Amino acid sequence: MFNHPEQKLKRSLIDKVFGRITRHIQQAVGSLGDLWRTPFTSMMTILVLGISLTLPATLHVFVKNANSISEHWGSASEISLFLKLSVTDKEAQQLVQRLRLYPEINHVEYISAEEALKEFRALSGFGEALNYLDKNPLPATVLVTPTERSSQVLAAEELLQKIVKEREVEQGKLDLEWLTRLEAITKLIENVVFGLGILLCLSVVLIIGNTIRLAILNQKEAIAVMKLVGATDAFIQRPFLYAGVWYGILGGLIASLSVTLLAYYFSGAIIELTELYQSNFELESLNFNELILLIAMAILLGLAGSYISVRKHIRAIEPTAD
Amino acid sequence: MIRFNNVSKAYSGGVIALNNVSFSLAAGEMAFLTGHSGAGKSTLLKLMSLMETSTSGSIHINGKSLSEVTYPQIPYVRRGIGMIFQNHNLLMDRTVFDNVALPLIIEGYSHKETKKRVEAALDKVHLGNKLKSFPSMLSGGEQQRVGIARAIVNKPPILLADEPTGNLDPKLSLEIIRLFEEFNDMGVAVLIATHDLGLIARLRYRTLTLKQGSMINDGLIEGMRTPGGDYV
Repeated sequence: MFNHPEQKLKRSLIDKVFGRITRHIQQAVGSLGDLWRTPFTSMMTILVLGISLTLPATLHVFVKNANSISEHWGSASEISLFLKLSVTDKEAQQLVQRLRLYPEINHVEYISAEEALKEFRALSGFGEALNYLDKNPLPATVLVTPTERSSQVLAAEELLQKIVKEREVEQGKLDLEWLTRLEAITKLIENVVFGLGILLCLSVVLIIGNTIRLAILNQKEAIAVMKLVGATDAFIQRPFLYAGVWYGILGGLIASLSVTLLAYYFSGAIIELTELYQSNFELESLNFNELILLIAMAILLGLAGSYISVRKHIRAIEPTAD
Repeated sequence: MIRFNNVSKAYSGGVIALNNVSFSLAAGEMAFLTGHSGAGKSTLLKLMSLMETSTSGSIHINGKSLSEVTYPQIPYVRRGIGMIFQNHNLLMDRTVFDNVALPLIIEGYSHKETKKRVEAALDKVHLGNKLKSFPSMLSGGEQQRVGIARAIVNKPPILLADEPTGNLDPKLSLEIIRLFEEFNDMGVAVLIATHDLGLIARLRYRTLTLKQGSMINDGLIEGMRTPGGDYV
């Protein structure tokens, strides 16, 4: 076996590739074993990572649902045209015909003054009081539903400006103020989520970096011995990088589970609330792609934290003969 | 194999550890390196294993000038040198097998080949039955032999030993030296740094003697005195 030092083993390319893959698998599994051997530290790091990612992910779920609400209501916006009291039914019908020719308009509904009063009497609860009025104070109304393309805030406003100029129209109303506010609030929350997300991601990188730094210092002597027998920095770094990946995977899974559970927890209350508004809105949690993205992000952060740490600390450890 | 040409090493504060040292060690040659504490033996070994860099002069190891070795190349140079230390430098939380296998794992040998070579190396140092033991379960001599097995497992052409018999009794010391002789017979260049003058006297190998960083003798030592009559 030890017949001559120059008789190094001749290894085929397949052997080398297979050896390399095996070494990676061994180091990946070994680093998971290292995490298992320090359960308290590992669990704390994983939980910090998971919780840190849960917060922006949960806020993202809210933003996503708020967007879906504003899109839904925004696209169903209606323009109410209140006609002059002097306008006759015939003139109103002519207006309806003209409005139907607008390419931006999808649907036009005419509500005569009588029908409006009848409806108001039924819904308002002031039926008796209305009997004391000499004449119907309500104007005839035309409800205009824009096409999908023209139902967005700006397009709908443009359409309103156009049709309000019709001679029969006294006043036009497009109640988009609340929608604009909702959009502004959603935008603000989006920005907050983004800023908060960046800060939390940074803290995750620092936390993992610090955990890996402590692990490196803990194995300082072993690292020095490895360097002494010819280990490259890449070889020594690998288990720590894999540890970062494991932290990412496990932290990402905890974050995914937490967000799903929180969405489930909130959905009951939201259903109760939306039922009060005759809506069948349901809170939508993270979908499959978003869950995968969340875990991938956690892995990336884990890897980034460990990479920064190993680059800085492993090179600094040098073997000594003492 | 090993060539030092006017090598000097000065530490900050002006301490001169080596002063214009020149020598060479050919393939298949075995020599002792001796001198008082602080004479520069460890510094010389550290320079060879790239733990330190020289202040001036040139060092060639396996035909490569160490001054041209870049940081990423250092591990590859070290793989060509088997290093043995007085304190063994073993990983105490790993088994004897894992310790000896380390250089092969680093080089990416398959598990099958690694197992075969580790078993052969441990058989060579008579520790074939200690594969699964941890270093803490072994005596000092056994730990030293594990260190030797790790140093020779990937068949380096050079073996450097820093006080390998420092903590061992004379009988064990001789056993360890006999192991080095066996590797030397196979063509390995062996350089042993030691204080053990009795051992040097008994074995009569070429001896490099350092005093205050300077090489004062290179050859056989007769009667424990250098040719100049200076006591080692």
